[in-house]
Amino acid sequence: MKKPNINVEVHHVTRVEGHGNIYVNVKDGIIEKCEWNISEAPRFFEAMVAGRNWNELHHITSRICGICSIGHTLASLRATEAAMGIKISDQDLKLRKIALHAENLQSHILHLGFLVLPDLMGVGSVIPLASSNPEEVKTVLQLHRLANEMSNLLCGRTTHPQRLIPGGFSKIPSLKELKELKKKLQDSVPKLQAVAELFKSVAPKLPDFQRETEFIALTKPDEYALYDGDIASSDTGKAPASEYLAFTNEYIVPISTAKRAKHARESYMVGALARLNINFDRLSPLAKKTAGMFGLKPVCHNPFMNNIAQLVEVVHSVEDSIRLIDELEAAGLQSQPDYHQPEITVKAGHGVGAVEVPRGILFHDYTYNQKGVCTKANCVIPTNQNHGNIELDLKALLPQVLDKTEKEIELSLEMLVRAYDPCISCSTHCVRVHFV
Amino acid sequence: MKPKVAFFDFAGCEGDQLQVANLEEELLTLLGQVKVVSFREVMKEHSDNYDIAFIEGSCTRLQDEDRLKQIRKNAKIVVAIGSCATIGGINCIRNYKDLDEVRKTVYGENAKLFDTYAARPIDAVIPVDAYVHGCPIDKDEFLQVVKSLLLGKKPDIPTYPVCVECKKNENVCAFERGQFCVGPVTRAGCNSCCVNEGTVCWGCRGLVDNPNENAQKEVLIKNGLTVDDAIGKFRLYFGWQERKR
Amino acid sequence: MDEIFAETKSDPYYFEKRKSSIIIGVNIQKMSKWCFAPFMGCATIEYGYDLMLTDLGNRYAINIGSEKGEELLEKYAKNVTNALARDIQLVGQKKREIMYMSQQKFDFPPELIPELLSKSYEKSAFWENHSEKCLACGSCVLVCPTCYCFDVKDNPDLSLARGERIRTWDGCLLEDFAKIASGENFRATKPTRYRHRYFKKGKYLYDRFGFISCVGCGRCSSNCLPDIANPVSLFNDMYHQIRDKEMLATAATTPEVKIETEGNIDYVPKLATIVKKVPMTANETLFELRLNDGSELGHKPSQFVEISVFGIGEAPISLSSPPTKKGTFELCVRKVGNVTSKLHTLNVGDEVGVRGPFGTGFDADFLKGKDLLFIAGGLGIAPLRSLFNYVLDNRKDYGNVILLYGCKEPRELLFSSELLALKNRTDVEFKNTVNWCPENEEWAGNIGVITTLIPQVDFDPEKTWTIVCGPPVMYKFVIADLKAKKVPDDHIILSLERRMKCGVGKCGHCQINQIYVCKDGPVFNYSKIKGVPEAL
Repeated sequence: MKKPNINVEVHHVTRVEGHGNIYVNVKDGIIEKCEWNISEAPRFFEAMVAGRNWNELHHITSRICGICSIGHTLASLRATEAAMGIKISDQDLKLRKIALHAENLQSHILHLGFLVLPDLMGVGSVIPLASSNPEEVKTVLQLHRLANEMSNLLCGRTTHPQRLIPGGFSKIPSLKELKELKKKLQDSVPKLQAVAELFKSVAPKLPDFQRETEFIALTKPDEYALYDGDIASSDTGKAPASEYLAFTNEYIVPISTAKRAKHARESYMVGALARLNINFDRLSPLAKKTAGMFGLKPVCHNPFMNNIAQLVEVVHSVEDSIRLIDELEAAGLQSQPDYHQPEITVKAGHGVGAVEVPRGILFHDYTYNQKGVCTKANCVIPTNQNHGNIELDLKALLPQVLDKTEKEIELSLEMLVRAYDPCISCSTHCVRVHFV
Repeated sequence: MKPKVAFFDFAGCEGDQLQVANLEEELLTLLGQVKVVSFREVMKEHSDNYDIAFIEGSCTRLQDEDRLKQIRKNAKIVVAIGSCATIGGINCIRNYKDLDEVRKTVYGENAKLFDTYAARPIDAVIPVDAYVHGCPIDKDEFLQVVKSLLLGKKPDIPTYPVCVECKKNENVCAFERGQFCVGPVTRAGCNSCCVNEGTVCWGCRGLVDNPNENAQKEVLIKNGLTVDDAIGKFRLYFGWQERKR
Repeated sequence: MDEIFAETKSDPYYFEKRKSSIIIGVNIQKMSKWCFAPFMGCATIEYGYDLMLTDLGNRYAINIGSEKGEELLEKYAKNVTNALARDIQLVGQKKREIMYMSQQKFDFPPELIPELLSKSYEKSAFWENHSEKCLACGSCVLVCPTCYCFDVKDNPDLSLARGERIRTWDGCLLEDFAKIASGENFRATKPTRYRHRYFKKGKYLYDRFGFISCVGCGRCSSNCLPDIANPVSLFNDMYHQIRDKEMLATAATTPEVKIETEGNIDYVPKLATIVKKVPMTANETLFELRLNDGSELGHKPSQFVEISVFGIGEAPISLSSPPTKKGTFELCVRKVGNVTSKLHTLNVGDEVGVRGPFGTGFDADFLKGKDLLFIAGGLGIAPLRSLFNYVLDNRKDYGNVILLYGCKEPRELLFSSELLALKNRTDVEFKNTVNWCPENEEWAGNIGVITTLIPQVDFDPEKTWTIVCGPPVMYKFVIADLKAKKVPDDHIILSLERRMKCGVGKCGHCQINQIYVCKDGPVFNYSKIKGVPEAL
């Protein structure tokens, strides 16, 4: 067989959030270059929050990402609350967990329906699917709408949620509204079923590719950790979230405006698959069943299955939200005044908030002086933590697809990147900044 | 003939494009009136032949200017969506810090590899025909602007401040609750959404055309904010607009 | 509010709501520090409610104000008993106590407010000082119980073929309240808008209806962030500034305008079809319309209509054809904003909406037998043509007729062939001029502003009525030249322009003092408005 000469340059990979490039050069069958390169304009968020007040940080850091806004806001709030010793009520804790579920639901459905499904159905985008498969597209849109309604109810809106404030919520839903939400969630289960069936029918298109990888995610003994927990590595075990730096070890790569991370190996993976691999038995019953439909169980080293892991998490988020609303109902919902502003005693301190957002584990680390002004900040974004793994996966996948056409190779590489559901504009910000 | 539309993004969080995706079923109706030929986040296909270009995100590097100018050449109508594109947005906070310092401390010795300059709205680089303000945009306002463009009329964007909407929504004024709000100098059109949710207006839609900034700062200080914090509030979103004035 | 919405033509939507509303009042129990209702005669009231409650400690006394109120009690309040004499006495006592609760204090009798205002219009330093901190946020007008100005907008749905026309609240302190499509803003600065609010409440409505339109609730004061909205402190300041310099007397004012109601306002447009479209210049096109139901518009010369381009909005356009032209009517439309630009893209056979005719128009009967001097500047020729052509159609009823027309440059000449034909008539004198002529164009006629034509014609100021219409800036100069020729004030008739929205004097946008341009004008006799500030 003739040794291939392949030059693939995917400039600004489509159907991912943010701008990333794949550069591949193969000469006479020898891989000379295989790079995953970020060209997104750097945002300098840590520079922006330095010098701002404790009650502004969550508003600013929410703007790191439009899709994981709720996650960034919660990580930010947890860091501030940890730094100043602010406690939140059990009720607020549950409400925040439901908010995070709403985000997971919204992001995963968007990713699966709009960004991944077209590849599996052989089209360029969801737009032609609207004509060829109207029922399926409608179901996806309805689930997406439900997720948005959930975020609106809990947080005010999906992107840049206003209700999430230090110490709790500025406004909470009424019990009646929560019950109505629960009904909608329960009614959505058949729709979830339909989406699962749809993916089952096209799942064979997902390459059967394995590369042993370290996985890192939050973990808790009694629940599928999303809002809080310890950091766990599939290789080494767990540690408190405040020790995250020992796990992330961010470093700069000259070709890329985004940093990378490594721990026990050259790179590691975070995200739905990592969470599933580490916390599988704490998934909700229906979620486990869904995983069973695809034969997905720990430890799975196929990054393409991150998509299926997201589908499983969608089911889990719906079921777990129903459980949380049941608990709120049982305890009785304490009302609070409109325009609620929790009493906060401002003090100096340092705190870390670690939260699982749809794409993986997110860290916000703040230091405050006694006036409540932020002097130092660090954010480690899930996608940054994945960049190294993406490149190594690309390098491992490439030889396996070299015998295909250039178009097919391009598609396989893009599908790999898309499977990670990267959020690139979040990931281009920066390292610890010493200011003030 | 349906007009062809394309979406582009620069330095932003892509939250505004998400709002377009959040139109859900209305997106399908909208697709009945326009043809989307380029929307990198959602579709593979791309075409340089478009009538209306929607641009999200600020211009933060010299190299972004070329891309913007190219879009302006290709499009008949350019619409800036989201605060980063319309007024510079949150990205302008760092304009007040020494940019070399910022780059060095962020990227260390590699700083020179990372080109940046003062973040700015896209109309600082190319002429813009319509604006959809907000961080994020309101999807109904987005539809209203699109409908206006399709009907050939200038979109009806308010020139009055958020207070008008707050009063219509019967909100309790932030200052009466001991909080600090920049609504009186911020452009309305969001239906005072943040105050409705129990907080204050942060100014994400930018200053009105003729804001009485001194009066507003006086109000903030009179109610107990320090001078530094009042200035800080204006720098959150108004960083670029203030410098221009 | 009832009087305002009933005046001349009544607003059916308002009265529908009014009819189906129940008004239950509660007498004041606690008074905020800003409230000054006792001074405005509004702290307690004897009528206008269906039920009025007074808190007597452990029970409420209920005054029944209407049959509706009585029925309400019978149906829903079973444990209501007749009041005892003692209760009635207590109510009276409570009401007297209310009169002393106010923490605000007027330094003068509040009945003097209209008088004070009439002496303060020109005091610009006063208004500038008081409005310096104004944020134009609209809070004061939006919380005011007697404010009612509104705006109307078209909201198409995504099909672009259907939609809604919505009425929303508006406020005169907002920057663009008095702005028209060409960009001209008749109250562009904060002091002028700030002043307008006090004048509207304290003088204009008083002159028109006989009451001061402020109930003294104090909401404006409590909601004004820079704290500049308190009418009490403003009027006190005004009083002190005036007091030493002038004598003050309470003059009774008879409203200048008659309040009669002649039917309902029609907010819903009729459909009309474009039957002819003649572009005249780069920006102006003459449209000929016919009402779809075949009826005659029935207008007086130079009234105006509100043209709807559905989905875009409505715009006021003066009628350019005389009422003697039957079957159709003509509008000369300049392309300047959303509605007019869209109108220019429509063609013969397309439909638009028409409301009206509105406005006073010219009184063609009154002018019979008199000599007429028409002075038209720029687009002003369009409405004047309506009267002018009517005069020509009834030529023998009028004396000498002169038409002077000036425009900026030759290519902006409107109705050129029609006007040129006038030169062949012996029964009218026609002169026109351009301000300047570009080098590459030919122009054999007069060059100079419109006033250069006035010395070129002979007319008897005693027997001649002058009819003037043109851009705002023109009036001052033309009137000065006419006065120099000894034309009496009441022989000068003008047509003014403002932002006109509802066309029936309700939405507040076109208001100049107590005059609504859409209803009391746009045609005015100069003698009536020469003293009215803001008019010219």
